[in-house]
Amino acid sequence: MKAIGKLEYYLFALIGITLFNTFLGEQFASTALVNILIALTVIYKGFVVIDHFMELKGTNKNLRFLMRLYFIIFPMMIIISAFY
Amino acid sequence: MKNNSINSSLGIFPKSWTEEHAGRIPGNIPIWVGILSELTEFGIFFAAYFIAKFYYPDVFIEGPQNLHTSLGVTNTIVLLTSSYFMAKAMSFIRLDNKIKCERYLWLAFLCGCLYLIIKTWEFYWNNLQGLGPSTSEFFTVYYYMTFNHFLHVGWASCAILWVIFRLRSGAYSAKESSGLEALAVYWHMIDLMWILIFPLLYVLR
Repeated sequence: MKAIGKLEYYLFALIGITLFNTFLGEQFASTALVNILIALTVIYKGFVVIDHFMELKGTNKNLRFLMRLYFIIFPMMIIISAFY
Repeated sequence: MKNNSINSSLGIFPKSWTEEHAGRIPGNIPIWVGILSELTEFGIFFAAYFIAKFYYPDVFIEGPQNLHTSLGVTNTIVLLTSSYFMAKAMSFIRLDNKIKCERYLWLAFLCGCLYLIIKTWEFYWNNLQGLGPSTSEFFTVYYYMTFNHFLHVGWASCAILWVIFRLRSGAYSAKESSGLEALAVYWHMIDLMWILIFPLLYVLR
């Protein structure tokens, strides 16, 4: 049987994180801790798609930087919004 | 090569941004101009979300509780899976395996269609609950973001059909696949935007 490849591993991880995020949202009020957890998982999901699905890892470093920066700025806003 | 001619013909960037210094540009420069424009557009939506949430915190706590979360989760999984199919299509064109590449493109297209069907159902379900763009500030932001994203998935799905047609006509191979790669990076960008939209609208309360 063919072993699970890297892409399949990342897909399962992304789906698992999505379900975990939903569980957090459904079961807990948006405390600072929940917001930080969700923001971190969004950063991870973004980085995985940028590096391994979009394949920017090892290609143009400026485009990769811009894409990753986007996935730092807006998740940081999620954390900041917890302190409104 | 066609890709090289597109990327080297635009001498508008500093030297440090050239492919020789910064690395290969996946797809071509025009698609990245489009992608960065789309990121700016969605960035404005996200900024609007955080500003509105600052002024109307109660509305943004209550709003997500009225949404059909299961449909949002399902659409997230569908889009992630479509990105996986697109990445597989790219990996097979590099092996010159056009049959498997086309198969994965069809799967990505079906995921795009499934997303559109689920989203349409969600809008319909919202309507049955009496929820619309003018219900509250949260729903105004919700409809701006999700309908805009809906349109992007719609036209990108049409682009997949075009790429399948081009693949069948022999336009792509292991040596020349910049058009297919341009579509792939655009599709992943759409997936990335949903990765941000989903927690903002469905998860954070």
